[in-house]
Amino acid sequence: MESDIPLSWFLLFAAASFAIGLIGVLTRKNAIAVLMAIEIMLNAANVNLVAFWRYGPELPEAGPVAGIVLAIMVITVAAAEVAVGIGLILLCYRRWRAADVDRYDSLAG
Amino acid sequence: MIELLDPTSPLVWAQSQAVDLGWGLALRWGLWLVVGFLGLFPGIVAYMVWLERKAAARFQDRIGPNRVGPLGLLQPIADAIKLLTKENLVPAGADGLVHLAAPVLVIVSAFLMLAVIPFAVGMAPVDLPSGLLYLMAASSLSPLGVFLAGWSSRNKYSLLGAMRAVAQLVSYEIPQVLAVIPIVLWGGSLSLVAIFDKQVEFGWFIASPPGLLAFLIMLIASIAELNRTPFDIPEAESEIIAGYHTEYSGMRFGLFFLAEYLSVFAVGCLVTALYLGGGMPLPLVRFPMNLLGDSLPRLILVDMVLLAVFMFKVLLFILFMFWVRVTLLRLRVDRLMNFAWKYLTPLAIVNILFAGIWYECVIRAGVLTLGGWLWGWVVTGPLVVFAVWLVVWINRRLLLGGPAGVGRPSLGGTRVDAGAAPG
Amino acid sequence: MIRVLFLVIAVTGLASALATVLIKNLVRAALALAGFFFAVACLFVLLEAEFLAALQVLIYVGAVSILLMFGIMLTRGVQGTDPASRPSAWRLPGVVIGLAVFALLGYAIFQETGLGTQRAWGAIDPRPAIARGTVEPGAPRRRAINDMGKVVGVELMTRYVVAFELAGLLLTAALVGAVAVAHREDDEPSRGEPSRIPSDPPITTSP
Repeated sequence: MESDIPLSWFLLFAAASFAIGLIGVLTRKNAIAVLMAIEIMLNAANVNLVAFWRYGPELPEAGPVAGIVLAIMVITVAAAEVAVGIGLILLCYRRWRAADVDRYDSLAG
Repeated sequence: MIELLDPTSPLVWAQSQAVDLGWGLALRWGLWLVVGFLGLFPGIVAYMVWLERKAAARFQDRIGPNRVGPLGLLQPIADAIKLLTKENLVPAGADGLVHLAAPVLVIVSAFLMLAVIPFAVGMAPVDLPSGLLYLMAASSLSPLGVFLAGWSSRNKYSLLGAMRAVAQLVSYEIPQVLAVIPIVLWGGSLSLVAIFDKQVEFGWFIASPPGLLAFLIMLIASIAELNRTPFDIPEAESEIIAGYHTEYSGMRFGLFFLAEYLSVFAVGCLVTALYLGGGMPLPLVRFPMNLLGDSLPRLILVDMVLLAVFMFKVLLFILFMFWVRVTLLRLRVDRLMNFAWKYLTPLAIVNILFAGIWYECVIRAGVLTLGGWLWGWVVTGPLVVFAVWLVVWINRRLLLGGPAGVGRPSLGGTRVDAGAAPG
Repeated sequence: MIRVLFLVIAVTGLASALATVLIKNLVRAALALAGFFFAVACLFVLLEAEFLAALQVLIYVGAVSILLMFGIMLTRGVQGTDPASRPSAWRLPGVVIGLAVFALLGYAIFQETGLGTQRAWGAIDPRPAIARGTVEPGAPRRRAINDMGKVVGVELMTRYVVAFELAGLLLTAALVGAVAVAHREDDEPSRGEPSRIPSDPPITTSP
């Protein structure tokens, strides 16, 4: 294709959404909002993986779908993380009546 | 289409991947969009509503709509005009944008499902290599819309209905997806066109014990996915008014209505394409496909037969849904969840193993032989019957052997203590 | 043409990501997150991985965002407003760190020169072509793109079988763990809960 999308555009998109997710993790106080920001960061990583798979050289030792399989693994781990994370947040909410991460300070000295 | 019909290749009807987006394809997609998705499918839905009212009236010894036009045939048009001209009320506390987005999301989900159905040879709107997964993804959009509808209305009945609906949709999605796995195994592909081709060669997939079981699981799970009686707990009018669309009026309610019937139609098409052999009139005979040559008139003839049979099967499926609706009573909430998790899901998982056995007996050989087919029935038939009996028996034992409160709803938010049941 | 498409999708995706991070109302934020997931799925389609795009929509839009909304319902008030959220001393440093990370990544993307014979990332414009025509054995990526479901399945069962089994183990552990964590024990000391609903008298079958 003559006017194909450059690889760097995908990388820039991924970098920007990763940065946005990082800002969210650092500035949000609600635990579920933090979880959502983490999901944004994981998705940004997935875009990078698939972009490198498509644009990179074809290596016989890496298999035909290396990036895809890696992305599927990331999705699996992210899904498990959300399930356990929501469970933990619910538990903490029942204990402290709050979903804000800075209220969980029982260990603070 | 003609270049697909290469008689030398064994897969004459197979998918053409790596599409070139040329003018011909763009024209075809445009035709599908305008004629099919904007004109034909909503029309079918409108007359499904008429058919349902007529059929339900027959079941209940009434006449049904008979005022507008002969046999009430213009009733859907009158209803549509009424819905279009009614005012859209948005509750004062509602979240306006989300309130508008929710019905749109639901109807988009229903429309997207239809995009990969192979109606006849060369008559699939789009043939994706992973079409079945796409279909599951499209149908999984609707819980989001339902949830947002209930949440944005600011009405506790809406919210209750939405919570019930999402819990039910998410639970029944699991047996639904698991029931599709035998089909993917036998078809060897996620493309619905390739699955249809396999059914031409090896008979309808329902004509095997594991296929029959998968079909039944799929049937029950999809009735639950569509929120129709006996699974219409999210819209139970005697308890929570109309559930998640209580606060919708005018055309926004019309969109929910359209989406419900469109989903019924789409699921009918899906079940027909996956289990009932698409447009094939007879289970083990390749009847219209063997007429397929390389000439256009023959293709049109075959397509007409296929399309007619396909639509007939979908009509039977829809009539079956209506029959179920007017016959069965609504389930209780706890039994609903038990049924999904304790009956359907284990059966669907075990059924995948039986599907593997059927694959070894019948499909592995590459050609359909009567001996292999009979052998497959002899091996898998008793296994399927035994599995169904076992699951039912275990659940009965659990229900009877458990404490007295297990099979009953607990209304107070706390469970009945297991040891406290007096004899 | 395809570049315009990419720009539209990318701008939508980044706007939804920003909305997720900035909107106070958590349910709306979750809705914006679903929009971001969808934009990422569209990017996967642009990268010719439509199998992964369908998987993304199925898992993220269909399951994860629903789960998050359930979590919001069960913790926040029903309308999902988040009044206490923010303004702490972390806001400014957080934004600065985020922008710094973005600047660093952008700099790295354009300064990368490529290892050995590989080209620099900033210089790769067209993607490697996938040959059209008959399927020759020497084009595994073409096969992968045209029949990704099958190829991914085969690869998961052969080359990546250990990772696959580990993922299964992880999912089982997560399932059991989530149930164990979220399960409400009746005899759990309920701290902070003002009043408990009294337990129903047990329903008996005998008269």
